[in-house]
Amino acid sequence: MGAKISDAMGERGKHRILMVSDFFYPNFGGVESHIYYLSQCLIPLGHKVVVMTHAYNNRSGVRYMTGGLKVYYVPWKPFLMQNTLPTFYGTLPIIRTILIRENISVVHGHQAFSTLCHEALMHARTMGYKVVFTDHSLYGFADVGSIHMNKVLQFTLADVTQAICVSHTSKENTVLRSGLPPEKVYVIPNAVDTAMFKPAPEQLSNDEIVVIVISRLVYRKGADLLVEVIPEVCRLHPNVRFVIGGDGPKRVRLEEMREKHSLQDRVDMLGAVPHAKVRSVLITGHIFLNSSLTEAFCIAILEAASCGLLTVSTRVGGVPEVLPDDMIVLAEPDPSDMIHAIAKAINILPQIDPKAMHLRMKELYSWHDVARRTEIVYDRALRCSSQPLLERLSRYLTCGAWAGKLFCLVMLIDFILWHLLQLWQPDRDIEVVPDVTLANFLHEEMSWDSNQSETLR
Amino acid sequence: MGMRAINRSSSVNRPKWRKIAYGGMQPGFEDNHTDESFLEDMIMNANVVRRDLLKVMLDSVSISQYLCIVALVVLVWTYTLRSILTEDSLLLLDVTLLGLGFFILLVTAEMLSFELLLSYLLKISFFITGLYLLSPIYHTLTRSISSDSIWALTAVLIILHLFLHNYSGSTVKAPGTLENPTLTSNISLNASIVASLLIASRLPSRLHVFAIVLFSLQVFLFAPLVTYCIRKYSFRLHLILSFSLTCSTLFFVYNLHRLLFVLLFVILAFVNVICPYWLIRIQEYKFEINGPWDEAKLCFNITE
Repeated sequence: MGAKISDAMGERGKHRILMVSDFFYPNFGGVESHIYYLSQCLIPLGHKVVVMTHAYNNRSGVRYMTGGLKVYYVPWKPFLMQNTLPTFYGTLPIIRTILIRENISVVHGHQAFSTLCHEALMHARTMGYKVVFTDHSLYGFADVGSIHMNKVLQFTLADVTQAICVSHTSKENTVLRSGLPPEKVYVIPNAVDTAMFKPAPEQLSNDEIVVIVISRLVYRKGADLLVEVIPEVCRLHPNVRFVIGGDGPKRVRLEEMREKHSLQDRVDMLGAVPHAKVRSVLITGHIFLNSSLTEAFCIAILEAASCGLLTVSTRVGGVPEVLPDDMIVLAEPDPSDMIHAIAKAINILPQIDPKAMHLRMKELYSWHDVARRTEIVYDRALRCSSQPLLERLSRYLTCGAWAGKLFCLVMLIDFILWHLLQLWQPDRDIEVVPDVTLANFLHEEMSWDSNQSETLR
Repeated sequence: MGMRAINRSSSVNRPKWRKIAYGGMQPGFEDNHTDESFLEDMIMNANVVRRDLLKVMLDSVSISQYLCIVALVVLVWTYTLRSILTEDSLLLLDVTLLGLGFFILLVTAEMLSFELLLSYLLKISFFITGLYLLSPIYHTLTRSISSDSIWALTAVLIILHLFLHNYSGSTVKAPGTLENPTLTSNISLNASIVASLLIASRLPSRLHVFAIVLFSLQVFLFAPLVTYCIRKYSFRLHLILSFSLTCSTLFFVYNLHRLLFVLLFVILAFVNVICPYWLIRIQEYKFEINGPWDEAKLCFNITE
């Protein structure tokens, strides 16, 4: 085996990071790709990265991915939307074992509605680890679900060392929801793997304009807006054709719309598009249409722009921050304004050069840049002083009249359980894993873009 | 002076921070930079409705009105159980209420059509016949259960009924309305029907049972509809009716039991005075946050 034990990992400035989230490969989405690409870019910088998630069907136990990325699929069944059942203390033993075995220095949790992430961060804080949290989504303040989520987030973030958000709007939202001081919250956006999303080798002719939509067809992604917009655009512009990739409960409505306006020859419904095929769909079009009603960042827009498509999007959440004004046409989430925006996009289409756009995207976004910026956050987190339990408890107390006391109780029980666990299975009885660097991956570190597509799908 | 000049020159040279996510880390600014524009798009209390004490008090009248109606029904039950009200007077009460209810509906709802009236009369006669045939069963329904349990259960059911009752509309709809009644209002209606059946099963004769069930069903099913129609027809009439209902209820309850009178009086005062005042007072704690992170609302209706 081409593996060697390296002692270099222990040197100063190199971190040993545990990424925790319920959402990881084989699932696919913004969070999953963020964790994957960030880990892949942190490893070449000399850090050790271990991912922890729950088991997906029979994908359970320890697996290795590209670049020697070690993934723990904890045998813990998801119960709702790929989330594990919240048990508060059920995950303490395994998280403690992983933290000690892998000799972790920083725990990095992802996504506000991942219960595994919240539990891991809580246990890690109890055990005195430094904790970083990345928030990937936006929440309102009005409905019961959001109020509950915000309280949970407040609990987790009350004691988090540093927090990261994917856009400035997301930062404002997180600060309001959790009451964190804004200077503790960093904005590090997502990025796109430009090597995977190259434009079509030959530029398409502008005789027929193809508008691409790739999203889950659900209410929050604005599928109902599409139902209103598509017939009107088809009526106004006889040379426009739509290609819709994605599946979901609203697909029936779109198909109904297609029948009703007899647009079968002008609206293609592809069904669910696997991520590896997204590029091949994108390069058949000129314009990418995003109709989301809420979006913290929207990686899909980056993928489209990287393929050289002009983007038309609703002006919601963090979307206005994502691209420079000349690469995107923004519209209010209102059918007439969106129809107007599509007309504007068709007008400026001749000035768009997909290759030039791709090169610009290469300048604007890179996962290596994201990794370097995240590294700074880890450095800062490690420089923060450790606090005794009492001082931390006082911070939980400020979370609310009733909730504060409840949070304190939860943390105290966690602390006691941790000490009982230490008696039952002392730290020295847990074997530490030797650091293994797969030599044959080391010199491929810069060209991993080419082989990750096989790993991911 | 010199310091200020240096500050100014540095702020001129320094590129301005922009609210963008592209292009990597902004030169001169760290990722945790919090700009002055932070949270400037936040809007507070945009949709808060300022309420007026008088209006809230007037709106709460319909709650106290219904409380009085239920209290009157319970009074009729009590007097029947004590054999103060005979079955003849009960039947007379039924007929009067039915006639009065129809009269009010016809006047307020403006649906004076002979055919509609006929179909209603037909339905009601079917209903009454059915009830009459079933009354022997109701009569012996709870013979093996003690009266205390029945009273306790009835009290619980009536409280449930009052808590879940739909005070803003009516569970039984006028013909032609589109919206369906909610689950809670249905539960409330069923609780009241069960309560009246339980009470009826304690009565001495079949005719008693028939008369009291008919009376209770008339009130619980149609009183909300009738009061709703009156309120829509004229708010002044609604207030006058509520006031006279409240006065007569208080008078009857006073004759029955002093403590119950005090209790009812306190509840009415609580509903009509204290609750509205309370609502106005806690308005100032209302805190609503809106901003660019909110989910956009569609400006058209989705027709599934």
